[in-house]
Amino acid sequence: MATLSIKGVRKSFGTVEVLTNIDIELEDGGFLVLLGPSGCGKSTLLSIIAGLEPSSGGDIIIGERNVNDVHPKDRNIAMVFQSYALYPTMAVRRNIGFGLEMRKVPTAEREAAIQRAAELLQIEHLLDRKPGQLSGGQRQRVAMGRAIVRNPDLFLFDEPLSNLDAKLRVEMRTEIKRLHDRLGTSIVYVTHDQIEAMTLGTKVAVMKSGVIQQIADPQTIYEKPANMFVAGFIGSPTMNFLRGTLERSGETLGLRHGDALLSLPGLEQDVNAYAGKKVVAGIRPESFHSGAGEGTLSGTVDVVEPTGPDTMVILSVGGQLLTARLGSRDRPKLGDAMTLALDTAAINLFDPDSGDRI
Amino acid sequence: MSRASVAALPPPRSTWDAINPLRLLGELSETRYWMYLLLLPSALLITAIVLFPTVYGFQLSFTEMRLNRPVGNGAFVAFKHYARMLSDPIFWLSLRNTAVWVTFSILIEFLVGLVAALALNRNLPGSKVLAVLILLPYFLPNVVAGNMWALMLDSRVGVVNDILVNIRLLEGYKAWFADPNTAMATAIFVEAWHSFPFFTLLIMAGLKGIPSDLYKAAEIDGAGVFAQLRLITLPMLRTIIAAAVILRVIGLVNSPDLLLILTQGGPGRSTQVLSLYAFQNAYQDFNFGYSGALSVVMFLLLMLFAWAYIRLSKVNQD
Amino acid sequence: MAQTRSSSNLIWNLLSYAVLIFLALLSVGPLLWMLLTSFKVDDDIVTRTMVYLPTRFTLESYIKLWNQSGYPALVINSLVTTTMTVAICLFTGTIASYAFSRYNFPGRTSLMLGYLVVRMFPAVLMIIPLFIVMRTLGLFDTSLGLAVAYTSFLLPLFVWMLKGFFDAAPKELESAARIDGSTRLGAMFRIVIPIARNGLVATCVFVAIAAWNEYLFALMLTSSTGSRTWPVGLQLMVGEFQLPWGMLAAGGIISILPVIVLFALVQRVMVAGITAGAVKG
Repeated sequence: MATLSIKGVRKSFGTVEVLTNIDIELEDGGFLVLLGPSGCGKSTLLSIIAGLEPSSGGDIIIGERNVNDVHPKDRNIAMVFQSYALYPTMAVRRNIGFGLEMRKVPTAEREAAIQRAAELLQIEHLLDRKPGQLSGGQRQRVAMGRAIVRNPDLFLFDEPLSNLDAKLRVEMRTEIKRLHDRLGTSIVYVTHDQIEAMTLGTKVAVMKSGVIQQIADPQTIYEKPANMFVAGFIGSPTMNFLRGTLERSGETLGLRHGDALLSLPGLEQDVNAYAGKKVVAGIRPESFHSGAGEGTLSGTVDVVEPTGPDTMVILSVGGQLLTARLGSRDRPKLGDAMTLALDTAAINLFDPDSGDRI
Repeated sequence: MSRASVAALPPPRSTWDAINPLRLLGELSETRYWMYLLLLPSALLITAIVLFPTVYGFQLSFTEMRLNRPVGNGAFVAFKHYARMLSDPIFWLSLRNTAVWVTFSILIEFLVGLVAALALNRNLPGSKVLAVLILLPYFLPNVVAGNMWALMLDSRVGVVNDILVNIRLLEGYKAWFADPNTAMATAIFVEAWHSFPFFTLLIMAGLKGIPSDLYKAAEIDGAGVFAQLRLITLPMLRTIIAAAVILRVIGLVNSPDLLLILTQGGPGRSTQVLSLYAFQNAYQDFNFGYSGALSVVMFLLLMLFAWAYIRLSKVNQD
Repeated sequence: MAQTRSSSNLIWNLLSYAVLIFLALLSVGPLLWMLLTSFKVDDDIVTRTMVYLPTRFTLESYIKLWNQSGYPALVINSLVTTTMTVAICLFTGTIASYAFSRYNFPGRTSLMLGYLVVRMFPAVLMIIPLFIVMRTLGLFDTSLGLAVAYTSFLLPLFVWMLKGFFDAAPKELESAARIDGSTRLGAMFRIVIPIARNGLVATCVFVAIAAWNEYLFALMLTSSTGSRTWPVGLQLMVGEFQLPWGMLAAGGIISILPVIVLFALVQRVMVAGITAGAVKG
């Protein structure tokens, strides 16, 4: 169990900079998720934390130790790979105990540790099989067994669920969370799946093109995204972006879009500087409801998608398309005119040029 | 059905169309027998040029056929040649020499080939050029390779001798191929030089098939370079190494080319191997029958070896 | 021991370079020596004290070779034989390889294995009957006869290597072509073969090099008048007493130049093909 400090880490390949100025602090026992699209540098950062790749600058501090020049095997970390990387010619038992074997841990101790890990992950019956004889989910567990058996200070997960089918993914996600709760070891977890980020992390770092866009707990990222990229990345279906001009009439603020005005009572941001300027309003589909409210939007129904528990309605508001999540009872027809109320307190306003939250 | 598929093609539009050979071939290709037609020419060729002579060769081993005797040729003599072989001291000597020749050549070729493949696999800058140079010996003809080294190791004008004397490893020029004690070793060296790239090629291919994640996991687990080699790389190369070894053993046992060029079995039979012995019986003594029998024995030994090797490696795997 | 990953990496890289450079020198050294020898005057070659660089640069070995030993004829014979071999393999082997790659039929694996087992037969075993057969057919000492003999062991190799390349070409393209109205024959020639063109060239080069280099069969199945190839001619120059090292070297250099050039050109594709076939095998 240890803290993780990433200070000012950069990485370049020749003239191409893939990581810029990464600063992250992870508390002891925390679950850090590095979230972002492919190519954003999250896997590279993980490799640097593991010591598999050197950084071009900055420090990695695990516990109290600066591990910049420390070999991966001496950093007291364990890693679970996307491909699981199980040694195909060895039985599961040896796969799990391999790290201990390399460290010359006496056999009895090693066997006991393997047994404990196998029990925890419910794979005792697989100990004498070879990886080639296992299913995807079973291989996952073995990979995790190999990681936990050494009691490291830090677990590193590199997109471990990407190779699993949807149902298995949900199962294993729960397993990982359960494991974290039980063992309490700090975890750094790389993924492009925002649902995994939201459900698993205590801290989420959203990355794009090697730059951290926002670090915060999942709820904050969801409710107060730092910029439009983060806002669009988290949440499914994605956040709506309504363009317009901010108007102030006395005490009230409103967004003028096209000919209509959307009043914005209860807005938590300090947006006085933007009165009269163009802004983008980020509205989550969940904030719509078909009841009454102060802020309303009107438009024509473009597409109706019943999903079972909800109905997704795509509304054309003055030419801009917005997605609303309504109840299953709401069944508008194509072409209908519709007016929906919003929870305006949940709206985030963004600067249209920088994309940052105001 | 062939008829139905032919009928599905558009009918000929003119007289030329009806007799156009390309078009007819095209129609033929839609029939059920097309795949067999594709295989036919090569299968015929191989049957004629390989199977037939081989069967004939087997048959020869049971007959008396000496081209330098005017009569008595073609007579069936059953196992006379095989019996003679058992009491033929040269046969046993050749067998022993073949074992030495094959074992040590392959050992050296494998080790050097493995090291080269591992080094090339690191993909250091300049690897591509170095790879071309290193692979070159395998594509040189035996004639040139043999004579090149014969020149370099010559007892009077060999440059290797000169260098060795200059760095004080040797007292005077050595006649590497004329000394029965060193002839075999020298020949093995030349053979290994010639064919180690074969192992390098195949092992390089195998290395590419090993996912790099395995090595990353091994690093984190604390396995050093040698442990990784022993526990990850080599086990995963097992099949390819087996294939390479079998192919190479076949090549070494079967063809007397290099030794024919370098030593002709001398000096004094110190490099006499089975294939050479069979060859000499045929083309110097014109004793085709005995030569055939020797060749059959070589073939059987190879089959035995291949079977045993495959069995062994399968057993090891489980 | 190395403490950090990068320093141990560095050591292994240096070691690898050392090994590779050593092996490269070892591989190419003899060739360079032969090249040097071919340019030396006889006095430089056969001397009491070793002469490394030629004192005089001369082409007399080459000239002697060309004029005296009938070498040009030998080279031409080799060319003819090699071309015929490649042609036979090309025409019969390509379609066979295609069939193995695309069609699954009963006995496929055993037939493929059979093509390989054929390699296990000792050359000596086959040469005698081939010798007799060729004589009977009147193919003895002809380039065609030799080419046919070569295909016996080169054709299986050709089929095997090419199959690897065919396997790499996606099958969907032919299906699409057939839906568009092409026959199987058309699909084979217009679609697959162009895609596998690189592999086809590399495989042909591989077979060509093997045929060009071959010694034993040529020794047995040709004689001086007809179609003797250069390897046999070169070896025959090795007399009982004085070895004409200069001419041998010159002959060697001339004859392997095409090999080296071809090899350097296609080596990447050829290596990929050999390795692909090996991995699948």
